[in-house]
Amino acid sequence: MLAAITVFAAFLVPLFPLSWVFNRLLDSLPMTTARALAVLALPQLGLLLLQYGVAPWALTDPQRRALVALAIFTALFYAFRALSARDLFIWTRLNLSAGLAVIWIAWAMGTAIPVLQILALTWSVPAALLTLLSGALAARLGGSYLGLMGNLVEPLPRLTASIVLTVLALLATPVFPSFFVLFGTAMQLPLSWILPLLLLLPLWGWSCGRLFQDLLFGAYRGEAVEDLSLLSSLMVFLVLSGLLVLGLYGSGGVL
Amino acid sequence: MSLDLGDRLQVRAMVYVASEPIPRFWPMRTFIHHNPLYGLEDRPFAQAVTEASELFHARGYLARSQYREYLAAGKVDEQALRDGVSRFLHGKDAAIPGIDLDAWLWALSTRYPGERVVLRGDWIDGAGLRAMLQGEELPALGDEADVDAALLELLEARLPPQLPVYTQVDRLYGSQIGDSLDDLLTKSCLDFFDEGQSAWQAPGREAGFFRSWKAIARRNIRFMLRGLHLRQLLAEEDTPEGTIAQILRQLEVPESAWQDYITRELTRMHGWAGFIRYRSTAKHYYWAQHYPADLVDFLAVRMVLGLALLQEAGRHQGSPVSYRALRASWQAQPRLAYLRSELHSARVLPAWAQRLDDLLSRPRPQRVATVASQYIEARRRYELDLQQKRLIDLARAVGGDAEQALRRLSAGELQGLRRLLGEWEAQEGYVWLQAMESHYITELVDRLQVPEPAPSHPKRPFAQALFCIDVRSEPMRRQLEALGDYQSFGIAGFFGVPLGYLEFGKGSEMHLCPAVQTPKNLVLEIPADLELEEEALYGALEHVLHDLKSSVLSPFVAVEAIGLLFSLGLIGKTLLPLGYHRWHARLHSDKPVTRLLLDKLSPEQADSIIRAIQRAMIVKALARELRISRDQVTDDEVRELREIALGHQRGPSTLARERNLSPAEELAFVEKLRDIYRVNHAETSLQMERLGRIGFSLEEQVRYVLQALLSIGLDRNFSRFVLLVAHESRSENNPYESALDCGACGGGRGLPNARALAHMANKPEVRRLLRERGVAIPEDTWFLPAVHNTTTDVIELHDLDLLPARHLLYLERLRNGLSAATRRCAAERMPLLGAAPELAAEPFAAAALAQRQAHDWSQVRPEWGLARNVYAIVGRRALTEGVDLDARAFLQSYDYRLDPRGRLLENILTGPLVVGEWINLEHYFSVVDTESYGSGSKVYHNVAGRFGVMTGNQSDLRTGLPIQTVMKDGKPYHEPVRLIALVEAPLAFAQRTVERIAKVKSLIGGGWVRLLILDPEDDYRVHVLTEDGFVVHPHSPLQRAAGEQTSIRVLEHST
Repeated sequence: MLAAITVFAAFLVPLFPLSWVFNRLLDSLPMTTARALAVLALPQLGLLLLQYGVAPWALTDPQRRALVALAIFTALFYAFRALSARDLFIWTRLNLSAGLAVIWIAWAMGTAIPVLQILALTWSVPAALLTLLSGALAARLGGSYLGLMGNLVEPLPRLTASIVLTVLALLATPVFPSFFVLFGTAMQLPLSWILPLLLLLPLWGWSCGRLFQDLLFGAYRGEAVEDLSLLSSLMVFLVLSGLLVLGLYGSGGVL
Repeated sequence: MSLDLGDRLQVRAMVYVASEPIPRFWPMRTFIHHNPLYGLEDRPFAQAVTEASELFHARGYLARSQYREYLAAGKVDEQALRDGVSRFLHGKDAAIPGIDLDAWLWALSTRYPGERVVLRGDWIDGAGLRAMLQGEELPALGDEADVDAALLELLEARLPPQLPVYTQVDRLYGSQIGDSLDDLLTKSCLDFFDEGQSAWQAPGREAGFFRSWKAIARRNIRFMLRGLHLRQLLAEEDTPEGTIAQILRQLEVPESAWQDYITRELTRMHGWAGFIRYRSTAKHYYWAQHYPADLVDFLAVRMVLGLALLQEAGRHQGSPVSYRALRASWQAQPRLAYLRSELHSARVLPAWAQRLDDLLSRPRPQRVATVASQYIEARRRYELDLQQKRLIDLARAVGGDAEQALRRLSAGELQGLRRLLGEWEAQEGYVWLQAMESHYITELVDRLQVPEPAPSHPKRPFAQALFCIDVRSEPMRRQLEALGDYQSFGIAGFFGVPLGYLEFGKGSEMHLCPAVQTPKNLVLEIPADLELEEEALYGALEHVLHDLKSSVLSPFVAVEAIGLLFSLGLIGKTLLPLGYHRWHARLHSDKPVTRLLLDKLSPEQADSIIRAIQRAMIVKALARELRISRDQVTDDEVRELREIALGHQRGPSTLARERNLSPAEELAFVEKLRDIYRVNHAETSLQMERLGRIGFSLEEQVRYVLQALLSIGLDRNFSRFVLLVAHESRSENNPYESALDCGACGGGRGLPNARALAHMANKPEVRRLLRERGVAIPEDTWFLPAVHNTTTDVIELHDLDLLPARHLLYLERLRNGLSAATRRCAAERMPLLGAAPELAAEPFAAAALAQRQAHDWSQVRPEWGLARNVYAIVGRRALTEGVDLDARAFLQSYDYRLDPRGRLLENILTGPLVVGEWINLEHYFSVVDTESYGSGSKVYHNVAGRFGVMTGNQSDLRTGLPIQTVMKDGKPYHEPVRLIALVEAPLAFAQRTVERIAKVKSLIGGGWVRLLILDPEDDYRVHVLTEDGFVVHPHSPLQRAAGEQTSIRVLEHST
């Protein structure tokens, strides 16, 4: 029963191959707000379930190693998969899956569930924001597939700036908490595991570069559109500032 | 496959034809302002702009919104704009019931809220549009076969045979071969064309671009890693022409499309192509002489790489590798191809993009057919909806019952309206441009003033100054004249003396004349008091440091040791630019006093010079090779060695006997003299030939001085000082520095020309002959060269050591006047560069700031340069004296009364006017399309190979002007209009002169320059050349002072 609960948790806190369900579920939700809520809620639900599943200290060493290996594979697989995604929401959920896989490693290394719930937010919150922003983009341009219209800074400076900052927060850019979580988790691993896990960083850097290339360069070729409201931009900025504070004062000592 | 000579010649001819529209790009060291559409100048302006837009994917006019801002600011002649609309409609003779076309077009240009009303859609038709406007169901597109036929037609238009095959593959498979190809080609070009920037040079460059590249490419790891199989491609043909033809055949491009195919290939990277084109025709260019390359080489390299990349893509993603195979594939599956084209050409509806992306990653035929039908329907609905919204927006901008009238139109009428609006939008930019020019023409006419009649005994000015026609001279002239007894003239900055110049310490010749001319005469700069063998300690240290900096090994060994030394300069330049510059200048030894070798040499003199040089070389060789100093050898011994080296005499020499040199040692030394120190027969002949070019004969000197003086109308009343003021621009860390130098000197600095003309004009023999030809220069008149630094506005006098003693008494007054003018100019100019407006009233502070700007290495805009140029005024200074022309006018002094046969005017029109036109159009196009014609932002520029700049670490060479030169706060600082050239001369006389010069006639007739003739013999009427011929400007005749005579005596001079 405990094992079944743990496996079920892997549907919600993505772990390959069960992560497929998490991704399909997000895709199938019709509304942006619902998707954003799901991005926030599903990992938290998964972690709550995990509290009632197998305890991490009950894992044998081979089991722990297998779990860490699977989690690293999941993270790298989804980060790699995101390289070819040009739809902002798909890109977001793939990178979210990659980020949340790191939570499994932290769990395997014995991090307490309440802490994991906070750590999961370091990826879920920017992902939820990006989901909302991709909805805002789709509402203005007809879709959130990037690279079709050229430089979006020109017609949508606030929306583009919000996307750029949130992407940086999601992809473990130093000073954002996801970076400290990734770094702290890596530090708990034996040396031979650190390098594979940290491969995430160049993959995310590459992914980030591709996204920004589609988002920021070229000449805008679309119709005139209304930018994100100042209030919404301020909200995004406030949330990201909160994450920054969390990153600088919280995450560093949590693990 | 072997190609005969005919095939090769055909390819070469095709490349030649294809290269015609590509403007030559001169190296940045001598930036030549040029018309980016130079190759199309034989067409009318509007037609050339349209053609260039297709070739270079660029826009030829400003955005409508920008023109509207100008209209609101009163910079567009509203009536001219209305006339333009009426003229367009008159030409179309179109009528649509209920639609006041005049009002619609006016509303479209001046009030419609978007940039374009006509949507270039694939599925817009009158019936669909009408249904949309009526809110009815859309009529069906037709059956499956009709849709397929329409798709085939669409694909035919999107993928024509002249489009490079890799571009077609990119558009259908999203493969980005084109970008990869550009990157690889840029790297290959950087390797070959490098002019000393790289520490390690590519090997075998002497063999030419294609051959050296081919030798390297076969073992290039970069290409191997990319999976490019070049060996086989390169093995089949030896010559670049053969390679091109062979690849075109391998790609199965129809022969009828080869010409256009080659044009597209070359224009894709027109910066590199333009540089190679320049290089291949510049006979005097050192790097081209040693490492030859032409566009056939460039194209061959491009085509080999393109085919290799195409084959690689074929292997990895199964895309076709020939035009026929590709065509067959899309003809077989038009729906799949259409969807691919939509997605990979970024035309897809955003809402469908991901869906198509998923579908095309696993395209199942049935699914493709279904999705294609749905997508076409969605696309059609989207296009029709957007089009009807735009038309409604336009109708609302028109006002009244226009919207109802629009909704009443039939399908055919709607289609007609859309076509008409589309045609107007295609021509609208040109109409706006003409209307803007009309405003500037009127503004000029209103400011012109009728010259006062010359007094019979005019007052002698304290100094006369000949400035370059450059627009930056205008404020300086105005300020100097305002100070008092100064008279100024405008003349092209090479002072009418085209010369090849060999500067002291430089290894190659510079052409100091308009780029359209090739100088016949060579002038040498010779030091008057140089210690040849000594080098300042600081200079030697600097050489060592720079050698270390450019060495490939130094990062490993020298950074810790000496890296800190470089930071001193870094800190100094950043924090105290002016102080650092002064300190640095003090450390450098001053350039020695020099003289110009200006007089033609007799054969005896030439021979004597060569002997002297060879003797000097032998002395140097003795010191270096045999450690024998000059005091240990006699002239006779040196002469004997020279004779032996030239083969006139046999050894052993006296010196060898005295020094006990063995025959072998002496022979080795003589061989070194011949090979290294070039004391040999071949070199002697070559030197004799070169010396034949040196200097000007007396007759030439008289002719140049007379022509210069008469062309500006200065044939009497000479003052004590006649300043010949060249100009230059000095700034730090600015690859575009030479763009701010003198355009009339081929992007160089005009001081040598000024020195040359001054030297000629001061020569008693020249003055005597001038007097015989009617120009009497008083004995106390001294021509003094000077240079105007346009960044700081400082005027520096030169060759003062030659100044007669009696003039020294007046030098202080002259200097005071010039420095006062400097400060007044700086006060006028600094606020325009973003300094506080209060500086306009503080000349000393403004001048200090100008100095700082010039030495600030972070300054992206040390001066505005030639931005905002709009007028070229060829006439007497009195027309505009005292008028603030805002540094916007090229001022060429000219008095038609001294030019009865129009020869001087011919020279002005073929030289200065063409240079002005190039400068003007370089600015024009750099503003209207800052990326394609301009060079984008300076901030991202990197110097490439010491001859150009690229954006980022690699790109096409950026050829135009950077944004910082022409834009301010995102808006054009340079207001782009064509050059408005005003010539003060009788109409018939000016017409006759223009008729005689085919090039100028074509430029003026084609509308590349707007021509105005101010006819002083027709009551000072201004005749404006329009499309309907000459029209008298309504604001003329000009107001004249009472009592002036219109009949003017024409003086005769034999030129």
